[in-house]
Amino acid sequence: MKDRLETFGVSREQIRTIVAEGLKGGNWCDLYFEQTVYNDLLLRDGVVASGGFHLDYGCGIRVLNGEKTGYAYSESTDFTSLMDAARAARSIAGRSSAFGRGNAVAAPSRPYSEQLAWSDADKKQLSKWLEQLETAVRRREPRTQKVIAMLSWSESDIVMYNSLDELSSDSRPLGSVSMTVIFCQGNQTEQRSVSRSLRCGREMLCQSLIEELASDAADGLDDSFAARRPRGGQMSVVMAAGASGILLHEAMGHAFEADFNRKGQSIFCDKMGQRICKRGINIIDDATVPGNRGSLQYDDEGVPGQKTYMVEDGILTSYLHDRISAAFYGVEPTGNGRRESFRYNPIPRMRTTYMESGSDGTLQDLIASVRKGVYVDKFANGEVRIGEGDFTFYVNRGYLIENGRLTQPVKDINIIGNGPQALADIVAVASDLKIDDGTWTCGKEQSVAVSCGIPSVLIKNLTVGGE
Amino acid sequence: MITKEEIQLARECIDFARMEGASAARITLTKSIENLVATLNGEVDKVTRCADRSMSIALFVDGRYGAFSINKLDRTTLKDFIHRAAATVRMLTPDEFRSLPDPARYCTSARTGLEMGLYDVNWETVEPADRTRMALNAAATGRVKDARLVSEEGEYSDSEYDVYLIDSQGLECRHSETSFDYGVEVTIEDESGNKYSDYWWTASPRLADFDPSDCGLTAVKRASGQFGAEPAPSGRYNMVIGAEVSSRLVTPMLNALNANSIQQGNSFLVGSEGKQLFAKGFSLLDEPWREGETGSKLFDSEGVCTVQAPIVKEGVVQHYFVNSYMAAKTGMAPTTDDASRPRLPGWPRDGLDRNSLMKMCGNGILVTDFNGGNCNMTTGDFSYGISGQLFENGKPVRPVHGMLMTGNFLKLWKSFLASGTDFRPCATKLIPSLAFSNVDFSG
Repeated sequence: MKDRLETFGVSREQIRTIVAEGLKGGNWCDLYFEQTVYNDLLLRDGVVASGGFHLDYGCGIRVLNGEKTGYAYSESTDFTSLMDAARAARSIAGRSSAFGRGNAVAAPSRPYSEQLAWSDADKKQLSKWLEQLETAVRRREPRTQKVIAMLSWSESDIVMYNSLDELSSDSRPLGSVSMTVIFCQGNQTEQRSVSRSLRCGREMLCQSLIEELASDAADGLDDSFAARRPRGGQMSVVMAAGASGILLHEAMGHAFEADFNRKGQSIFCDKMGQRICKRGINIIDDATVPGNRGSLQYDDEGVPGQKTYMVEDGILTSYLHDRISAAFYGVEPTGNGRRESFRYNPIPRMRTTYMESGSDGTLQDLIASVRKGVYVDKFANGEVRIGEGDFTFYVNRGYLIENGRLTQPVKDINIIGNGPQALADIVAVASDLKIDDGTWTCGKEQSVAVSCGIPSVLIKNLTVGGE
Repeated sequence: MITKEEIQLARECIDFARMEGASAARITLTKSIENLVATLNGEVDKVTRCADRSMSIALFVDGRYGAFSINKLDRTTLKDFIHRAAATVRMLTPDEFRSLPDPARYCTSARTGLEMGLYDVNWETVEPADRTRMALNAAATGRVKDARLVSEEGEYSDSEYDVYLIDSQGLECRHSETSFDYGVEVTIEDESGNKYSDYWWTASPRLADFDPSDCGLTAVKRASGQFGAEPAPSGRYNMVIGAEVSSRLVTPMLNALNANSIQQGNSFLVGSEGKQLFAKGFSLLDEPWREGETGSKLFDSEGVCTVQAPIVKEGVVQHYFVNSYMAAKTGMAPTTDDASRPRLPGWPRDGLDRNSLMKMCGNGILVTDFNGGNCNMTTGDFSYGISGQLFENGKPVRPVHGMLMTGNFLKLWKSFLASGTDFRPCATKLIPSLAFSNVDFSG
């Protein structure tokens, strides 16, 4: 820990003094030191001819007075600059309430490791890996027209200290590969985007990842060219395992974040302890999945990363808490206080959000049970209105289901519904949970890395947009 | 504001780059300060002060190119940073198309940063108590009679932003601006306990023109206008889209006109230059030289002069957005790297607004907000969740939500009927209320 503080040029005594200054304006003060080095390489038109690195360094100081927040940051971490920031942050006034230690989980293990450190990387070798990726796509699919692929990696060194004299540190690696491929067939053009993002070292850049990404990008292309928009209307929807977990993130997960509930905005704010979906459904937000993009040893308030059941056997059992909401509700923080960087104060955010496998058979069983509906293979993005619970999701790829069989490929449609209603309308959950390793980023006020997963599910009565 | 010492440091960084063997370099130095007061239900909830400095460095070494940035701006750190950056560039593949722009295209009229009249010296006189007063006065809490206000979150902020650009060919330009902003989100309940949320915002570069006092009430009015909303029957409708959200239909067009997308074939406007693709009434202008108006600027990210010219004229695409790299790579004539301050003029005449557009259409759907959706950039196919009002005989008759608007941008802009002149001057894209015929809605 001593070394980590030295990275930022401050001593334990100095950070105690800074926190004491902050506490003159509130009943909680914490410091968040961060040094992030972000690197990228871009393959375009067959060559890696662009790249760079970016250094971000500073310290955020937060003073809380009850639920009220004073926040300031400094890009210099010398004692004088930090004392000035503490004085700026303590300018908040309000009522007081006690903040607990919140160490619901003691001595968390680090859910990520770097077998091959990014900092030792030979950029020429990394460039070669990207070129091999393009070659694999072109070998697999001759209709490939253009490939853009980006490899990025970052290493964040974090030190956190608070007015309970708790000092914690984390070193977070994150490696990501994103690729967009344009395919052409006659005068038709089709675009596919695929990605992988993991908290690990450059050991992730193996041959099998090249083959996986090439396969994700190119497989099923004939169906994509043949895909049409279906006639719109209300129908049953089968969602594929994995990336369909974005539904949980957007339509339910946000509404479980405790700040929206504390402020009375969430449609779930009066549903704690109540049944919100069928028996057997468990929904989790988890910081402990090894190597996952959403995993954290500590959250950004120094609370240990942990696995939080939000829904157990269909009953709403927990919101996702930062220290403010935990104090408000009189519960332990759940390790969901997260921030984009030292420039932002932490707020309740998801990590890896998923539903556990169910016992209603396989994906094929779910499809076979639908007379008329849509099977969604790939979602692009989604959005939700927290108050109303209304959500919209954009479907990249899918198929019509007619009499229990997949028929016409469909694409570029939206599915809309209402979060609580959709949750209640889940009538079958398959036993094939898959957590997606794409580059999911949540944009609630700030951008943070997250992940999502779900088994195949059948939802009755969603609105599908079409011609 | 950026100091003389910081400007001197930026110049030294050009020298550091040359010493490392760079044939060319560009430095972009940015500095900003923001003060923010957030309110919750009529009380101060959060106060923040943010001060940022950052230096971005574009390096051209041995026919290769790299882009770097750093926020530790001391001389020793920068010198080492540029040393490591140059070494990184040397590991990349050479790219014959990378170079600084032709100096003849450089902006030479942005010397002080104050030329566009977007910097309000009164920014420095705003006291913490003023911020709190403005934040609280804009809130609807305590002023609402007809609906139960469940939650109101408001955010006042004022900021100063300063950017200084130099390169090794002698480019030197600067842009400074201030901004005063207020945004609010409300959640209200109807008598049955159903929740409805909505938002409103305003902004101005000048304190004297900044009036957020009605924002909270406007957000409540918008939310309560949704009471009882349900989908209208699926079908084809005339559509009027309100000025507060109409830029959503223009942004994909601007993105599709960017040469980066055109070159990759990732654009539904490939091959569109000079062609009559849209309705004759549809024109889109870039007007970046309007002194004192939000979004105005004299130079782009490469220091190239912005241009005041039509982007689309009477339905004909006039030009793409081509930076110097794409120009060299594709052989297209260079323009600027993006639209600066696009404005869609009124048609068929000035003075129309959403109400007159609804009267013109007779029956249809007025879109006042989007909820999710996307556009396939290669085909132009789109699908967006919407909410708004069903209108008949030119008047709103009931709120609608939970509907999807689906179509293709090339077809949509062919069915363009009319545009108002009621754009919001606080926005950087000046897009008014718009009317279209035969738009697919499903609900």
